[in-house]
Amino acid sequence: MGRRLRAAYDWFDERTAIRSLLRKGLYEAVPVRGAWFYTLGSATLVLILLQLITGIFLTLLFVPSVTEAWQSLNYLKEHDAFGSIVRGIHLWSAYILLFVIGLHMVRTFFSGSYKRPRELNWVTGVGLFVLVLGMAITGAFLPWDQAAYWTAVVVTNIPAYTPFIGSFIRALWRGADTVGPITLSRTFGIHVWLLPAILFPLIGAHLALLRKHGEFGSYINYRGAYRSREGVDVPPAPAQRPIEPPYPAAPSDELWAAPLETEDFYPHQTVKDGIISAALVVVVFVLAVVIGAPLEAIADPATTNYTPVPEWFFLPLDELLVLVPQQLIPLVLVLPTGGVLLLLALPFIDRGPERNPFERPAVMVPGAFAVLFVVILTLLGSGRLFNL
Amino acid sequence: MAHRDPRRLSRRQFGVLGTQVSGAVVAVLLGIPIIGFLISPLFRQQQAVWRKVGDISGVPDGEPTKFEVTFPQGAWTTAENNLAVYVVKNGDNTRVFSNVCTHMQCPVRWDGSLHQFLCPCHGGLYDINGANVGGPPPKPLPQYVHRIEGTTLFVENRFTEEI
Repeated sequence: MGRRLRAAYDWFDERTAIRSLLRKGLYEAVPVRGAWFYTLGSATLVLILLQLITGIFLTLLFVPSVTEAWQSLNYLKEHDAFGSIVRGIHLWSAYILLFVIGLHMVRTFFSGSYKRPRELNWVTGVGLFVLVLGMAITGAFLPWDQAAYWTAVVVTNIPAYTPFIGSFIRALWRGADTVGPITLSRTFGIHVWLLPAILFPLIGAHLALLRKHGEFGSYINYRGAYRSREGVDVPPAPAQRPIEPPYPAAPSDELWAAPLETEDFYPHQTVKDGIISAALVVVVFVLAVVIGAPLEAIADPATTNYTPVPEWFFLPLDELLVLVPQQLIPLVLVLPTGGVLLLLALPFIDRGPERNPFERPAVMVPGAFAVLFVVILTLLGSGRLFNL
Repeated sequence: MAHRDPRRLSRRQFGVLGTQVSGAVVAVLLGIPIIGFLISPLFRQQQAVWRKVGDISGVPDGEPTKFEVTFPQGAWTTAENNLAVYVVKNGDNTRVFSNVCTHMQCPVRWDGSLHQFLCPCHGGLYDINGANVGGPPPKPLPQYVHRIEGTTLFVENRFTEEI
């Protein structure tokens, strides 16, 4: 570095402490083993940022109005090839984001990473998962084509089955008794401002907690730690540089588990994160260019030959709507709400020190059944709608 | 040292209370209009509108016939929506059904071969009288408030029963 440049950097550092910030940010010790699993978290972040960036640019054209929304996107489709790619990236990275955030959650579930002291890492993560789902559902309303319109009708009607206050909640979202102009304005506002305003600070909290407690990977990653607890002499993790103890630090702690070997976050973890994220972005880009984002015919409330087909991530709930008999329709609200509450409660239910998934049947078996239930509902739904 | 009256606020207590009260003032002054703005649609009466559907003299007895009627979309939008209505004649009795399913409000259609109204979303079924006879719908098919002048049908943008 030239002397002048170094002097400028020193000047800047004296005022901002940028040097120590970077050092803290880049040279965190992360476990060597399991590092590829951690790329799911960074890939989730990258895909969310992709949503933010493409979303910001889409608002430069999209008009959130029942008379103009479809027209503006149709203009994009007909007259703006690059704009169509931006919309395609927004759609396909949302789809892939839902997959990746699910995998990230499953990984955390398997490895028991939500255990003390990382309960709130998990709780904020569940919050982020719900918010991402909320983004996906509200986003699906916006194009105001047939698919979007009937999604809006059905989704805003589901809360109407809340006991006592159901029709009030429905009217609150719709801004009227029926889906109309205020529904689109409100849903647009929720999608571009309200949910992101909660989502991004929560990401900040999630990352701050991650840095506070350190990565926690798979059981395999910590086999050594287990052995040492059982009396076999394995030396504790040799941190490569002095760090604040990010893991329950004392081997006498019942929950003690430290990685056998660590290395610097930069560049050893960032290269793996980069490879996975870049590969996903390439996939998103190809899908955006080759398939793009569909736009059906403009919303037509008078239709009697259109069959509404929900977004794929909505299929499990849609299949529940088919299966649940008329006396029990509120179950369609109770099951997802109960599922989220159970997820939030997980680290406070499964509190023992055991992290090996094969030694935790009490959570792994119900967890597997829950995943199986959602998968079966999805398969039933796709079979019904696409005659598979 | 001055004697301190325990009934009087200390400087610190005043600071704590003052901070809390200031926060509360801001929260209330912002909260009232925002919450009012959010829930105002719940208290807005929908404007009653009557619209002509058309001449129904050609509607055959015992066969639901689809018409379209145009209603305002509400709020500020001047553009109007087409909605589907099914007119069912049975002798002197004429009923005007909406095609809004009472389950999730999907667009119901008359299926002549089934001789039933069918909802494409979740398989709801209604018979020719609008009774919910199969699938998840919890209520009969909604009917429009209507009147007939001669052979011309008019409907109001309102159902006889709320769904």
